[in-house]
Amino acid sequence: MLKRKYLIPLLTSLFAVILVLSACSGQSNQDSKQSEETTDAKDQPIAEKDGNSITIAVSSNLVSMDPHDTNDTLSGAVQSTMLEGLFGFDKDMNMIPVLAESYEASEDAKEFIFKLREGIKFHDGTPFNAEAVKVNIDRVSNPENRLKRYSMFENVETTEVVDEYTVKVTLKEPFGAMLNNFAHPAARMVSPKAIEEYGKDIAMHPVGTGAFKFVEWEHSDHLIVEKNTDYWQEGLPKVDRITIKPVPENGSRIAMLQTGEADFIYPVPTDQAELINGKDGIVVENRPSIVARYITMNTTKKPFDDVKVRQAINYAINNEAFLKVVYSGYGSDLDSIIPEGLQFYSKQTPYSYDPEKAKQLLAEAGYENGFETTIWGANNSDAIKAMEFIQQQLSLVGIKVNVVPMESGTLSDRIWSVQTAEDADVELYFGGWSSSTGDADWGIRPLLAGDSIPPKSYNVAYYQNEAADELIYAALQTADPEKRADAYAEVQKIIWEDAPWVFLGVEDTMAGMKNYLKGVYLLPDGAMNATQAEIVQ
Amino acid sequence: MFRFIVKRLFGIIPTLLIVSILVFLFVHMIPGDPARLVAGPDASYEDVELVRQDLGLDKPLVTQYFTYMSGLFQGDLGTSMKTKRPVFDEIADRFMPTFWLTIWSMVWAIIFGLLIGVISATKRNKWQDYTGMFTAVSGISLPSFWLGLMLIQLFSVQLGWFPTGGNDSWTSYILPSITLGAGVAAVIARFTRSSLMDILREDYIRTGRAKGLKENIVVWKHALKNAMIPVVTMTGLQFGFLLGGSIVVETVFSWPGLGRLLIDSVSYRDYPVIQAELLLFAFEFILINLIVDVLYGIMNPQIRY
Repeated sequence: MLKRKYLIPLLTSLFAVILVLSACSGQSNQDSKQSEETTDAKDQPIAEKDGNSITIAVSSNLVSMDPHDTNDTLSGAVQSTMLEGLFGFDKDMNMIPVLAESYEASEDAKEFIFKLREGIKFHDGTPFNAEAVKVNIDRVSNPENRLKRYSMFENVETTEVVDEYTVKVTLKEPFGAMLNNFAHPAARMVSPKAIEEYGKDIAMHPVGTGAFKFVEWEHSDHLIVEKNTDYWQEGLPKVDRITIKPVPENGSRIAMLQTGEADFIYPVPTDQAELINGKDGIVVENRPSIVARYITMNTTKKPFDDVKVRQAINYAINNEAFLKVVYSGYGSDLDSIIPEGLQFYSKQTPYSYDPEKAKQLLAEAGYENGFETTIWGANNSDAIKAMEFIQQQLSLVGIKVNVVPMESGTLSDRIWSVQTAEDADVELYFGGWSSSTGDADWGIRPLLAGDSIPPKSYNVAYYQNEAADELIYAALQTADPEKRADAYAEVQKIIWEDAPWVFLGVEDTMAGMKNYLKGVYLLPDGAMNATQAEIVQ
Repeated sequence: MFRFIVKRLFGIIPTLLIVSILVFLFVHMIPGDPARLVAGPDASYEDVELVRQDLGLDKPLVTQYFTYMSGLFQGDLGTSMKTKRPVFDEIADRFMPTFWLTIWSMVWAIIFGLLIGVISATKRNKWQDYTGMFTAVSGISLPSFWLGLMLIQLFSVQLGWFPTGGNDSWTSYILPSITLGAGVAAVIARFTRSSLMDILREDYIRTGRAKGLKENIVVWKHALKNAMIPVVTMTGLQFGFLLGGSIVVETVFSWPGLGRLLIDSVSYRDYPVIQAELLLFAFEFILINLIVDVLYGIMNPQIRY
C-alpha cells in the first residue's frame, strides 16, 4: 500500500517532466529552423493534387449569404465566389468596374449614372439589367427591410432605370465616397427572381452572376460552390468546386493544410508562419493589410489632454519592436492616421523611437515624474502581448501602465454604454480598424470626427478638432478625386500632429496555401478572393 | 417501478421551469450588448438602436421573459440573432454529431475503463495495477486540446490514417472519440478499481471462493455487479457532460456539434441559442439521472422506489 501511494505521484511527475522536456525540445527546433526556411519556400517541389476541386479552411463560422444583410468580412468573402457588384476591388484594394462598364458622377456628388455590362445572366437565368440593379438598391436602401447594410445606402433617394443598361442613382445628401459603397461587398447584386422567390431565406440561397454557383450550405460544417459554366469572363472559373470549411482551431487548420485536406487556409497565426512555410509544399503569403493598430488616448482627460504628453508617448514606443514582438515581424509602419492601402493616404513624418525626447516632452508638460494610467483591450493573446509591450516601453519613460484585458462583449459595454464624454472611464484603449470600403472617409470619420464619440460611433479618443471636422465633411461634398485628396491630405497632417492616438503599425494578412494553387489571395481588408483559383501541377 | 418513472417524468416540468428562469437571468446578466454585436463593428448608433428594437431587447426583462416562455410553450425556441435561422434548426443540425461522438467515446471509455479497473483491482500492487493506474492518471491529466492536437499531428499529418477533423466518414470519429473518452475511461477505471477492491473483501466473495467457484466467475459475475453502483452514477454524470458537447474537442477537430455552437453563441451573446442549449443540457441531465436510478434497481433488486 505504501509503495503505491508514492508510486503514482512519482510516475505522474515523471510523466509531466517528460512532457515539458519534449515541449522544450520542440521549441528549440522551431528556433533553429526559422532562419533557414524563409528563403527556399518557393524552391520546394510542387505538391501532389488529385482532382480539380479545392477546399478552403477559414477561422470562424459563416453567418449569412445575403450580401445586404452581412457585416462580417468572412461571409462577404465567401459571397464573392458567387455574387458580384457594379464595382469591386482588385488585389491592392483599387476600385475596378465589374458589372458596371463605366460611371458618371455629378459635380456635387449627388447623382451617379452607371452604364452596365451587357449580356450577363444570373445563375437562375434572369438577365442582369438596370431593373435588377434597381431591385437590389431599392431593397438595401429600404429601412423596412431591416438589413444590416441599410446604413450604407440610406442616403439613396431614388434609383431610376434610364434604359435597359443604364441606371441613375440620386442621393439625398452629397456623398463623395459613394462609389466606394457601390464597390463594397454590401452592394453585390442578387437575382431579383430569387429575392422574390426566397424572400428572407435568400440568405440561404444566394443567386448571383459570379464565377461559382451555390450548391449547399451545411450550417454547422461547410459551404460548397461549383463552377458556373456560363460565366461572363472568358476562361474562368478554372476549378470545378470550392468547399469552404470553418476550422476555428489554428493548429487544426494548419494540420489540414499539411495533410492536403485543405488547399488554402487563413488566417495563419504569425507565430507559426515560419514553422510551416516551405515544408509539405506549403507557401505562406503575407501582404500588407489595411488593418491599422493604434492606442487611443482619451483627449478629454488629464494627462492626455496635453498634446505634448500624447506626442511623448508616440516617441516612447519602438514601433519596429512592437511589430516583432506582437506579429512576429509580419507588419509595416502606420505612418499616417490611415494605412497606406487606403485611398487618399498621405505619408507623414514618423514619430521616431526617442525615449529621451519623450522624457523631455513629459517634463515640459509638467510630468517629469511620470504618471499612472490604465490600458484596455481585448483578451486574445495578440492584444495582451501588445498591451504588455506598451506597458514595458512606457515604464522606461516613467509612465506606469495597468493592463486590463477584457472579453469583447464586456469591453464594448464599458466603452459604448457611456452616454457622455464626462462619464467615460477609458484612458488608453488598444484597438484596430479596417475601412471596409477602401476609402479614407470610413477610415477617418467614424474614429476621429468630433460627433463620432461613443455611443454614437468609434471616436474612443474623444478627439475634437473643428478644423479637422470641417475638412472631413468638405471631402464628402464632392466626387472630384483631386479635391477630396487635398482635403484628406490636410486632415491627415492636422491629426497626425495632434496625436490623439499612439500610432503602432499595420498588420499583414496571412494566408497559407499549397504551392500548386494559384489565383487565390487575400485582399488588404482580410477578405479572400477565389474567383481565379487554378491548380497548376 | 412504472409509477416511479411516470412520477419522475412529471417532476421534470417544475425543474425545467426553474432552470429556465435561472438561465434567462444568467444569460441576460452577462455583460455585453447583443444589439451592438449583431449590428457589427462599423454600425452607427442609430443602427444599433434599430437592431435592439428588432430583437425586442429594449423591453423590460420581465416582458422579455414572458415573450420567451410563451414561445417556448408553443414549441418555438426563437430565432438566432446571429444567423436569423430558427434556433431549433441550429440545434437540430448539431445534435446528432455530438450525440454519436458521445456514444462512441462512452463505448470505448466504458470498455477500457472497466477492463483496466478490474485488472488493477484483482492484480493489486502488481505491475498490471501500476500500468493501469498510470494510464488512468495520464488520461485524467492530459489536457484534451493537447492530446487532440498531438493525435492529429501523429495519426493525420505524419501517418495519414485519419482525417484531421470534420465528421464525413466513420474514420473521422476515431481521433475525437479517443480524445474525449480518455478522461472518462480514466475516471471509470479508478472508480471500478476502488469499488471492486472493497467488494472483493466482502464475506460472500469469500464464500463464493470457498465453495470452489472459478475466480473469473467470482470477479466478473458476483463482485462486479455489486461494484457497479458508484461506477454507473459516475458514468451517467460523464455521459451528461459529454452530451453537452465538448467545446475543446469540437473546436480542435472542427466537429459540427453543440459545444462549438455554445461557444460561438456565447461570444456573440446570441441569447435565444444559449438559452435553448442550456435548457437542453438541463433536460438531458435530468433524463440521464432518471435512467441511472432505474439502472440501480436492475443491478440491485433490493433497491426499490
